[in-house]
Amino acid sequence: MRRATPFAALAAIFAVQALADAQPVVAFPLYLAVVLLVSLRQNRAESIAVVAVAAMAVLFLPLATAGQASDIAAAVLLAAVLIGVAITMSVLSTHSRESAAETQRRLTELAAAERRLRATLDSADQGLGLVDLHGRWMQANEPLIAILGRSNDDLVQTTLAEVTAAKDRAALAAALVLLRNGDLVRWEAEISQARPDGTEVPVGILVVKLPNTATGEPVLLVQERDNSARRRTDALRDCAAAIRQVIVTSPSVEHGMPQILGAFCNSLEPKLALYWGVDSDRQTLRVRHSSTVSSAVLEGFVHASRGHPTASGVGLVGRVWQAGLLAAEEDLERAADDKRVAAARSAGLRSAVAFPVVDTGEVIGVVELLAERVRNPQDDEVTMLAGIGVEIGQFTRRSETSQALRRSEADHRAIFERSPIGIARISADGELLEANPSLLQMLEHDAEEMRTTVWPDLMRAYDQAASRQRKATFLAGITDGSSVQVRAATGAGNWLWLQLTATSIPDSSGRPEHVLLMIEDVTTVRETSDKLAESLEAQREANANLEKIDHTKSEFLSIVSHEFRTALTGIQGFSELIRDGGLEADEVRAYGGYIFNDADRVNRLIGDMLDLDRMESGRMTMRTADVDVNDILMEAIARATSSAVAVEFKSDLDPRLPIVAGDRDRLIQVISNLVNNAVKYSPEGGTVTLTSRAEGHFALISVTDTGIGIPAEDIGHVFERFRRVRSGIAQSIPGTGLGLTIVKQIVEMHGGKIWVESALGHGSSFHFTVPLTPEGASAVQLRHA
Amino acid sequence: MRTPTFRVLVADDNEVAQRLCKRVLEKAGYPVLIAADGLQAVDIALRERPEMILMDVAMPGIDGLEAMRRIKTEIPAMPIVIASAHSMSSDRERFLAAGADNVLSKPFRLADLISIVEQLASVK
Repeated sequence: MRRATPFAALAAIFAVQALADAQPVVAFPLYLAVVLLVSLRQNRAESIAVVAVAAMAVLFLPLATAGQASDIAAAVLLAAVLIGVAITMSVLSTHSRESAAETQRRLTELAAAERRLRATLDSADQGLGLVDLHGRWMQANEPLIAILGRSNDDLVQTTLAEVTAAKDRAALAAALVLLRNGDLVRWEAEISQARPDGTEVPVGILVVKLPNTATGEPVLLVQERDNSARRRTDALRDCAAAIRQVIVTSPSVEHGMPQILGAFCNSLEPKLALYWGVDSDRQTLRVRHSSTVSSAVLEGFVHASRGHPTASGVGLVGRVWQAGLLAAEEDLERAADDKRVAAARSAGLRSAVAFPVVDTGEVIGVVELLAERVRNPQDDEVTMLAGIGVEIGQFTRRSETSQALRRSEADHRAIFERSPIGIARISADGELLEANPSLLQMLEHDAEEMRTTVWPDLMRAYDQAASRQRKATFLAGITDGSSVQVRAATGAGNWLWLQLTATSIPDSSGRPEHVLLMIEDVTTVRETSDKLAESLEAQREANANLEKIDHTKSEFLSIVSHEFRTALTGIQGFSELIRDGGLEADEVRAYGGYIFNDADRVNRLIGDMLDLDRMESGRMTMRTADVDVNDILMEAIARATSSAVAVEFKSDLDPRLPIVAGDRDRLIQVISNLVNNAVKYSPEGGTVTLTSRAEGHFALISVTDTGIGIPAEDIGHVFERFRRVRSGIAQSIPGTGLGLTIVKQIVEMHGGKIWVESALGHGSSFHFTVPLTPEGASAVQLRHA
Repeated sequence: MRTPTFRVLVADDNEVAQRLCKRVLEKAGYPVLIAADGLQAVDIALRERPEMILMDVAMPGIDGLEAMRRIKTEIPAMPIVIASAHSMSSDRERFLAAGADNVLSKPFRLADLISIVEQLASVK
């Protein structure tokens, strides 16, 4: 349509010109106007077509009418003008179009650049914005909007001061004044921005004054960096550092745990930190330690928590214990409702994080952190808490171990110091390292004496005692804990019996590191036991004696009855014969003789027994007088010789033997007994020698025979009653078995001694002494002087 | 019936006892041999082979029991009567256990001595 319009206009003009038969020059302005209008339309093809048509319209009538040359020339001129105008217009139009396109291109580029800039600003990790000199927000990028927690539209209604935390506003205002005045072109600070929800964001802020812009007023470029992540990281790092400090320096869990919990509260957000320890029976978690900002409400909650032991899997801490993993209640309002959660809420607590305290894979406790705000721990916090949980676990175990060690050391020290038993610590090479007070007191030495002299003596005594008991010596390895008893002198010179019990204490590799020696004063025990042993021995001897006496008594009875019955056999038998009659007179006389002899023998036996009994029971009375021993000896020889035995008697009597003090009849009894024995035990042709001489204050009398002698095993018993030697030919020699016993009694009653020397087959020598009278003794002394 | 050849060996170290036994037994018609100790008793018993032995115990050398053992070893059938002044009841058992055919306690009734010998003689 529009393309047809110029041609229609040209046709209309031509028609009117033709009708009016007007000169082309008349219509020319009209043609010119059409061409100009078309050329403005910037369509070159159309323009050429329109110009061509307009030129032909101008030329047609003059050419068609074959007008005058001038008309034709005028028409040609007009046509050329048209064409010229069209060409000019076309060139102009082309230029104009190019310029417009360039402008358009620039504008597009500008828009793209702005978009890029915007995107760049928006994608910057820092907040960027512009405020005017009074701090009114003009614009802000996305990060800044995010930091400030407001939309752009909201933001431009506010000022920088309004979005700044109250505590930082004064500093900000001062800075803005300086910037406005030109005293400052750049202000940098760490402040907090306040969000509409009431929370605060720590930021690093940089405000730069930008120079005058085209609009006139300078503006301030505001750059903000959200520091909350860095702050949290710093806080976590500070918290971990504080806890490690506690762990390194704290002597015990009791001391350290409250500080650890305090570090959580101080460095991180929680208002309350609790340590739940697993009970030894592993059934229950119980609050052991807590740390909180001073608050009556929170204290109340802590108290309630202490009275609220938790089983595995129950509640947040129970779940953490069970799973061994950190868990959190982001919002206690939305937590499963239980009594404790309700109490936490009423204490103003809104969130809780709990993490396990782990030692070698075992949960030994749970730390619970409660905050007043809804929050969920970030990844870095989770990581840090998990790590700290392990460190606290190790600390707890280490501290318990070292506490146990300290306790054990303290116990051992107390035992060492206070033990009533002496204890010495000895090095592996035998040096005394330490002696406890009991030992020093027991041995009455000071530590130095103990170390240098007493201990080496004691060790030697130990070794001697041990070797007697076939035990290892002190250093040769004492592991059996057996004891030896040694005698030792105290510093004050008292002798003690000490019981030493050594125990070697191995080092970690099992080699003996040192030796502990327990030293007990067993003097009393030992003396008592020695006395007991003595008295037991005495008792045993007494018992043996009693048995011997009992046995001797039976034997005595047996022998006595045998002797009596033997004698009675003759008495009874021959009496019966005489009684029955029918005997010759000489038979009766002979039998009477037998009867008399045996009766006499019985009488002697009874006499001996009674004598002995009297002597042994002390009822024998001595009729002491001056007695000439030589006289008695001579009589004895005379009597023995007269009894017509085939034994030769010899005598070697000291003619100057003084008088002794004694009972003459008893001394005769002694000598005749010894002489009779000598004769009895001598073979035919034997010799019996009697000697006498003075020996100090005594007369020494000896009766020596060349008879059968006494066997060595019997010689110690010859003076015991009924200990007649009955072996060999001695068996046939009659006797009461009491003779020598009586002899010994008599000699001892005189204050003398009797003994025997004998060699079997070569004879015996009986010696006895009798005290001289005082005058006799001095006479002997004079003689010897 | 009593055989006139029933000889009795009396072994006793006590002369009085020897004479008593000899007197009583010979009167009763038994020839008597005498031994003064154990060894003599064994010697005579084995050599003379008497019809019985009256044996004391407490004798020099070997005692009566040892002599009896030796004799019984050679002549198991030899009747031996122990005549001892060891006269406790345990002694009697001891002698019988040692092989004595009978025991006569000293001192004894003469009739007892004769009856013991007669008893053995009649068995013979």
